[in-house]
Amino acid sequence: MKSKRFLAGTAALAFTALALSGCSAGGSGSGSSDDGSVEMTLWHNSTTGPGTEFWDKVTADFAEANPGVTVTPQSIQNEDLDGKLQTALNSGDAPDVFLQRGGGKLAAMVAAGQIMDITDGISDTARTEISEGSFEANTLDDKVYAMPVAVLPGGIFYSKDLFAEAGVTETPKTVDELNDVVQKLKDADVSPIALGGKDAWPAAHWYYFFALRECSADTMATAAEERDFSDECWTRAGEDLQSFVDTEPYNADFLTTAAQQGAGSSAGLLANHQAAMELMGAWNPGVIASLTPDAKPLPDLGWFPFPEIEGGDGQPGSIMGGVDGYSCSVDAPKECVDFLNFLATSDVQKEYYAAFNAPPVNSVAQEAVTEPYLKDILTAYNAAPYVSQWLDTVYGLNVGNALNVGVVDLMAGKGDPEKLVSAVNDAAKKS
Amino acid sequence: MTVRESSLPGQLGQADPRAQGGGVAVPAAPPAARKGRGLGWSGRLEVAILVGPALLVFLAFVIYPVVMAAYYGFFSWQGFGAPTDFVGFRNYLTIIQDPTFLEALGHNATIVVLSLVLQGPIAILVALLLNRKLRGQSLIRVLIFVPYVISEVVVGTGWSLMLQGNGAVNGLLEKVGLGTLTQDWLANPDIAMWTLMAIITWKYIGFAVILFLAGLQGIPEELSEAAAIDGASYWQIQRRITLPLLGPTLRIWAFLSIIGSLQLFDLVYIIWGQYIASTAGTSTMATYLVANGRNSGNYGYGNAVAVVLFVISLVVALVYQRYVLNRDTAGAITGGKK
Repeated sequence: MKSKRFLAGTAALAFTALALSGCSAGGSGSGSSDDGSVEMTLWHNSTTGPGTEFWDKVTADFAEANPGVTVTPQSIQNEDLDGKLQTALNSGDAPDVFLQRGGGKLAAMVAAGQIMDITDGISDTARTEISEGSFEANTLDDKVYAMPVAVLPGGIFYSKDLFAEAGVTETPKTVDELNDVVQKLKDADVSPIALGGKDAWPAAHWYYFFALRECSADTMATAAEERDFSDECWTRAGEDLQSFVDTEPYNADFLTTAAQQGAGSSAGLLANHQAAMELMGAWNPGVIASLTPDAKPLPDLGWFPFPEIEGGDGQPGSIMGGVDGYSCSVDAPKECVDFLNFLATSDVQKEYYAAFNAPPVNSVAQEAVTEPYLKDILTAYNAAPYVSQWLDTVYGLNVGNALNVGVVDLMAGKGDPEKLVSAVNDAAKKS
Repeated sequence: MTVRESSLPGQLGQADPRAQGGGVAVPAAPPAARKGRGLGWSGRLEVAILVGPALLVFLAFVIYPVVMAAYYGFFSWQGFGAPTDFVGFRNYLTIIQDPTFLEALGHNATIVVLSLVLQGPIAILVALLLNRKLRGQSLIRVLIFVPYVISEVVVGTGWSLMLQGNGAVNGLLEKVGLGTLTQDWLANPDIAMWTLMAIITWKYIGFAVILFLAGLQGIPEELSEAAAIDGASYWQIQRRITLPLLGPTLRIWAFLSIIGSLQLFDLVYIIWGQYIASTAGTSTMATYLVANGRNSGNYGYGNAVAVVLFVISLVVALVYQRYVLNRDTAGAITGGKK
């Protein structure tokens, strides 16, 4: 018996030793050291080839221009980013620079004292070349907490070839016309709309846009501030979505289709001409480009704004979308702000546009945009009477997630518009 | 057990009165008497050295997190800094009133029952088959065990790709002329649970078979020989001799299966992702915990869910040990050095 216990004890000792050595090896890699050199970590959400190359190049260029300062980029899969970031922030081991989605998510981080106030550090070039409105998305109480990098409004991406194949000559302006297009595509044996329901937020985008059409800007602002969804426009938006879903416009297994990963994802379906349309943010061309057979941008890609509805309280032409920015954690070295200013320069912004096939935020760099779909997006964005952030971003992780899941339930036939609104109200109890 | 005095030189000659027992069952000494005997200084050191590290790891990584989870569960806490907003039992009330949680609990119960019902009989039959002499026996044993060795993530990713609407399974069905049988295996809430059960059965049956095979090896052949001489048929022997003697193995397997089913997380999370498990009807308490705790940034609430999950598993385990496993463990605990 003793020999067994001896073995067990030895094993336990060995295990402890391993565990302890594991702990000591995993120190933090950021901060300044005695010789004046500065190391920073960067979390971004691009997993495509050109996207990761962009971050590698930008950080290398920055290190060259600023001797002694290195930034190490790390790619985090988009669906994992929010959870990992919160864990890192909670544990005091946050990356120095990271993607900032803004809205309620930013507000929670600011309330917890985790984000650096960069208001006074923003360079004059960034101030003049980036519109005031783009800074607003990441501003709380007149303090700027992130450098905007891209404007990413949502709308419907479509394949011009498949539209032509089905005899559709004009993009739909109203939901009724959209219904006609869906029917024509079905008649031509083309799957009308790709939807990545597995990630929930792409499905929820459909509800957001119906809400944007049904609800007035004031109602949206009230909901953002008070999480109050009592206005009946929220239910009406659910009913609009319900009747649209009833026409079965989506790929049959949309519930288990991912948004951005692989050829079977909704972006992949569009990239491979397996579906004609997808409602998505303006980052989509880059994602689609990475999923086409030759990994090049889709040549027949087009874009039109979300169709209007009759009798809604929302101003026609209103648009929804995010401004992707980058924040510095509160403990980051001061050189972090220099890096953000570097990201905002027109040269880097042009590279950003080239790598992601998405509209940059810098107005000088925007002039370099040539793709018609990106120009359409920028035109619609600049003409919009009201711009709302993505609703799940506005409401933060808790209510935002409940809203997204509620919409998926509705679309899968497991709920109704009333239940959606009540599920969102219930989520507040869990915070 | 003669090696017991040889491993530690420092112990030689140190006569421990309780070390005499060996394998013989001796009733446990009353606490008072035990106290009186005591251990020598070196004996205590030995215990401290041998138990200390394991105890430390156990306290730090099991007991401490459980206690902290119970503590955090009483707070509304977003995870930043120390929790300050004490809410008493509000989180627990919300949990037991949340239809989504009750659904998840129901799914766990379904998985517990179906795992036993599906895997048990199949595994017994396969084990009986593999216990006979047949060609390619070891190859079949390995093949059956392979799924159990593959990582859950690989299994989940592989199956979810094959079971997609335009995946390999539907493709195969169409190619062999069974196109009418094609389904949205994962997306249709009516069959998603059965798809999950099929994957679970495929994955874990090997473990059950290996356990049962080990149990079968321990049954003396003389018994079946004697029965055969008395004229018992093969099935009578299995029914009257093998199965009853396999009882302890069956009960331990069922215990492991129940606990595993209650805590099922990885397969569901890989196949159905972060959001739609509840919509597809395959959510479990653990996926509910992650969706409503970590992914929603409600760390206080998530900890409360973890406590509920822990209590449910603990109660089931204790009840099972008390009423089902007691026969098996009764003779196993000896009065020797515990």
